[in-house]
Amino acid sequence: MTARSLFIPVTLFLVIAFLIGPFLIIVAASFSAGETLAFPPQGFSLRWIAKVFTVESFRASFGMSLFLAIGGTAAALVLGIPASYALSRYKLPGAEIVRTVVSAPIIVPGIIVGLALLRYIVVPFQVGITPALFLAHTALVLPYAVRVVSASLDNLRSDIEEAAVLLGSSRLGAFFRVVMPNIRGGIMSAFILGFVTSFNQVPVSLFLSGPGVRTLPVDMIAYMEIVFDPSVAALSSLLAFLSIGIVFLAERFLGFSRYV
Amino acid sequence: MFQNRTEALALALPAAIFAAAVFLVPVVILLSDGFRAPAGGWTISAYTDFFSNPLNQAVFLRTLRLGALVTIASAVIGYAAAFAIVSLEPGAKGKVTGLVVLPLMISPVARTYAWIVILGRTGIVNQAFQALGITEAPLRILFSETAIFIGLLQLFLPLMIISLISALENMPKDAIPAARVLGANWFQVFWKVVLPLTKEGLVIGGTLVFTGSLTAYITPAILGGSKVLMLETLLYQQVSVSNNFVAASVIAFILIVMSFAANILLKRVATARNKQRSPQ
Repeated sequence: MTARSLFIPVTLFLVIAFLIGPFLIIVAASFSAGETLAFPPQGFSLRWIAKVFTVESFRASFGMSLFLAIGGTAAALVLGIPASYALSRYKLPGAEIVRTVVSAPIIVPGIIVGLALLRYIVVPFQVGITPALFLAHTALVLPYAVRVVSASLDNLRSDIEEAAVLLGSSRLGAFFRVVMPNIRGGIMSAFILGFVTSFNQVPVSLFLSGPGVRTLPVDMIAYMEIVFDPSVAALSSLLAFLSIGIVFLAERFLGFSRYV
Repeated sequence: MFQNRTEALALALPAAIFAAAVFLVPVVILLSDGFRAPAGGWTISAYTDFFSNPLNQAVFLRTLRLGALVTIASAVIGYAAAFAIVSLEPGAKGKVTGLVVLPLMISPVARTYAWIVILGRTGIVNQAFQALGITEAPLRILFSETAIFIGLLQLFLPLMIISLISALENMPKDAIPAARVLGANWFQVFWKVVLPLTKEGLVIGGTLVFTGSLTAYITPAILGGSKVLMLETLLYQQVSVSNNFVAASVIAFILIVMSFAANILLKRVATARNKQRSPQ
């Protein structure tokens, strides 16, 4: 073997080991029988996987994260689909301003969004923790919703809905019966992208979380600062498999990567 | 194209008003806080105060330094990895690219947490070093700049590799053989042929990695601890520990300016090349 023919396999091995290795170590550590987080794991057991389900705060924060990821993404789509439709099918006055405003939350670091919301919406208007988190996660997902839905609307010929209108359908009827079925894949992809983004988001939720009300990743960071056992590793592995599974299924059935 | 303006506005305004109310207006007010004088009027004294504090200077420079180092390291590793991936058979190429993208689906908290197991006092690295006799006592790698660097590099390297893969694939296939035939060595091939032809991919990847590293919170929070701060973790401390909202506003403004500046600067680098090429 010459130096050059070795270059490719060695490079690939090192890079993949660096990117995937830590994740495999976390998975291995979550099956440990020992009391503390360690690799190689001490013995084999499922006790830490089982423990994840018994920690009260994990259950509560998992529920909260799930609610925010599903509800916030749904709300972002309810706002984002009409806006994308207006941007792609209408002569909209100030279209560039609208586009910039709805996609702005992606550019500004989450921690700043969270702090701004806390100081100038939550405190002055006495908004509760859950509605505040909901607003923040909706704003965070909105740019993704508009981007993905706009892309699939732009790929759809607009004369089919014009034909439907000419044939006597109302504009609304044409949208629901002609456009929606054709952009379903794009909407589902936007939903999945929004779900994963919202579920994994930490900085936006940091300042908005309150006593007993936290999102799961914020709760995990708080937990790992106090307890040094493998349960966070177990939870991390479970979550990783969950999101890999969702993305894999999405790719399989929707061709997810075409839209994102 | 429909012409009805009222309908268009009715469709677009709810999203625009929502984003403006929940996001834009609060963020603008927050940013203006740092410029407001206590007695009324405007001042930049909060900024001069911020930068006159040696601790803040250190955090600012550390954030810039880590952002630059992570970007450079990911570019170097990214080119090697992208070269190797592009030279694979189509089937293997898809699978390896999938493995590179896979970490992006995993929660950053989980990915960062893994480094505690690896870099901790009883972690793998320390076990190996002690077994090999490189050190006697365990090294303190965790809660240092090195740990943050490693964590950020692992978090953002996939973005650079993906950008470079598509740049390399768009490069003319015979550019490298042609340069070799004409007598260029590998260093010249890279510097004079590959780099100019893939600059746009490098700029896109570089922008993502640099701004991502500047504004990362999770990695410095977990791997830097409370002593080795970056701007985001300093912002968090200013609010939650010191209740200093003016300093928080200053840091927020600095972060946003740095991200925008990086975007504009790197875009200019990319277009400068196009201008050079266009007369030919």
